[in-house]
Amino acid sequence: MAYLEVKSASKSFGKKRVLEGLSLEVERGECVVVFGPSGCGKTTLLRLIAGVLEPDQGEVWIDGKSVMGVAPEARGVAMAFQNFALYPHMDAFENIASPLRARKLPEDEVKQRVHEIAGLLRIDHVLDHLPRQLSNGQKQRTSLARSLVHGPSVLMLDDPLRNVDAKIRYEMRLELPRVFRKFHSTVLYVTQDYKEALALGNRIGVLMDGRFEQVDSPVGIYRNPKNQRVASLFGDPPINLFPIRPERGSDGVVHAQIGGQRLALGTRSAELAGRECILGVRPEDVAFDFEPAPGGIPVELEAVTPFNVRTVTLLKAGDDTEILASRPEDNILATARGHRRGWARIDFDRALFFDAASGIRL
Amino acid sequence: MASLTLDHVSKLYEQKGLPPTLAVKDVSMSIKDGEIIGLVGSSGCGKTSTLRMIAGFESITEGTIRIGERPINKLKAAERNVAMAFEGYALYPPLRVSDNIAFSLLRNKMPRTRADTKVKMIAELLEITNILDLYPPSLSGGQQQRVSLARALVRAADVFLLDEPMSQLEPHLRAKLRARIKDYLIQNKMTSVFVTHDQTEAMALADRIAVMSEGVLQQFGSPVDLKERPSNLFVAGFIGEPPMNLLKAQVTAEGRARRLMVQDEQGRQAFSFGVPDRAEATPLQNGRKVYVGIRPHKIVVAPGGNGAVERVTGTVVSSEWLGDQSYLGVEIGDAFLIVVADRSVRAPHESQITLGLPYEALHFFDSDSGEAVLHGSDLLRA
Repeated sequence: MAYLEVKSASKSFGKKRVLEGLSLEVERGECVVVFGPSGCGKTTLLRLIAGVLEPDQGEVWIDGKSVMGVAPEARGVAMAFQNFALYPHMDAFENIASPLRARKLPEDEVKQRVHEIAGLLRIDHVLDHLPRQLSNGQKQRTSLARSLVHGPSVLMLDDPLRNVDAKIRYEMRLELPRVFRKFHSTVLYVTQDYKEALALGNRIGVLMDGRFEQVDSPVGIYRNPKNQRVASLFGDPPINLFPIRPERGSDGVVHAQIGGQRLALGTRSAELAGRECILGVRPEDVAFDFEPAPGGIPVELEAVTPFNVRTVTLLKAGDDTEILASRPEDNILATARGHRRGWARIDFDRALFFDAASGIRL
Repeated sequence: MASLTLDHVSKLYEQKGLPPTLAVKDVSMSIKDGEIIGLVGSSGCGKTSTLRMIAGFESITEGTIRIGERPINKLKAAERNVAMAFEGYALYPPLRVSDNIAFSLLRNKMPRTRADTKVKMIAELLEITNILDLYPPSLSGGQQQRVSLARALVRAADVFLLDEPMSQLEPHLRAKLRARIKDYLIQNKMTSVFVTHDQTEAMALADRIAVMSEGVLQQFGSPVDLKERPSNLFVAGFIGEPPMNLLKAQVTAEGRARRLMVQDEQGRQAFSFGVPDRAEATPLQNGRKVYVGIRPHKIVVAPGGNGAVERVTGTVVSSEWLGDQSYLGVEIGDAFLIVVADRSVRAPHESQITLGLPYEALHFFDSDSGEAVLHGSDLLRA
């Protein structure tokens, strides 16, 4: 049995239905990321689990027991928000120790627990600092330490990295999984940032319109999205989507017109012939070259827009189809200005096919 | 379209009851005809004041701004022949989207049919064709921003000024629209200056970027310059995502040989490596305290060959697979490095990993002043 279970929970506010029979199971020690656009019901879900809100229908179970009617503080759930607030008059040590003091733990154990988590989060050298003496990154770590120190049954983090600067965000994204592992924390982590979801989740629940569209591992979500909507939410630049109608040629090979070229669709396309489809190709699976290549689509290089450590190019085929391609940083291409002819080649082994009407992956 | 020159420009704000603030300090920039310039920095760095002085919405306290050869200090905003897209969109609520876009064209006596053609063209580029008949209040923030951009870009002007032009663009459109706008600016040889807090946006669009902090122009260079030759710690830390790894270090000497002792955040020694015995390495003299920097994607996983690479071994404490690439968190001693690796790299937690730090990718900054003292690429120059 899963450690945390949400069983067909529904919740409405007035006429607005926010959660629609939502179910979720989280194993002990697992980090599940709840990912979705704003207004999809993420925060409401956390509040139901915390006990701040009651569901209209459905139940929440923790460790094999229903917690319906159990007060928030008795559920053993810790919740941290976007703005981790620290007590300004207490030093970092006392801030972290405050949940332990509230539980009247012996002084030795308080010290030991605070030092252990402070070491793990690299703030052991600033424990005697007041919040105003801490950098933003240290404040972030201090408040995280406080929410973890008493070993909550379920730790819920509501978009904690949203308002921090890039450096802290990257560091914390890399450090949090280790912290969760060390503390065997069962974590629900809410974010609108797909990279955070891929980085932190053992599994990701894609929440849309009050229901989970798909719950799967990061690789599962990215490589095998259930439908076109999920595929479009992961990846920046986003996945290219081309309407196609594959046909079986006289040679038995399934082809389609893409960017004005007739291309063989690869081995997975046998059952697609005659069906209206959307072909999904992630930008990193489009290779651009100035030299012709077999299976290449002749394109015009419209613009080069470097993106972080990658180079993104916008390509335009003869029939005006636009194709985004991305590859590791390339300074020669990055300084290119003006149009050039080239060829785009799609890696059909990694391509996705969706039903044009339903959007479901085929 | 014309060149744009800022010659020792300063802006002093004096408000009753408040101490005077020098928001822009002696900024000089020479922008070529047809160049795309990004003004970046954190909030309050002076970038928006600079843009508003060019536009004519703020007086110029000191210095001269010229469009072409013509000083514009004394000209009213409307006389400068600049087009501007505002961060707050500033659309006319009672006019349809199409009339908002056509407004300045018609005011300048462009024939209606010609104006309609231009509106249609820019609407297609910015994906607003389907909302041309709507009124601004019924639009989403992202749509309003695209209309505001269309209204500025459709005009004929000497200089185009864009304030946070893409901050509200819908994520699924951003990559495509960025590229289309860049192509449009280049094809039409439009001299443009845009302000953004997002260095990613600036790197994507600009020919050259002006990095500002506390009213001072820190560096003005191409995206490649800023990444490979940052002039100080501020620029090094501000430009690039994930950000540059920066570690404290001190040079020590053993006889003639110098070593760089790299420390963790708490000042404990994490690892060390030799300083090449070359004239170019002179700034790394014995006892000097520096920050050593390397960008996450310049670190080589499992380096082979001999090359000018320093090898260090660390422990993988975290690994993120992001679909198109992977990020690793690696501890060497107690020092922490972020590494960007290929999507195929599998590095299990707690495994040992050997990393190559190529000399050409290292940057050294004085630990007191923050100024760059040496870029590793200079060490390898013959």
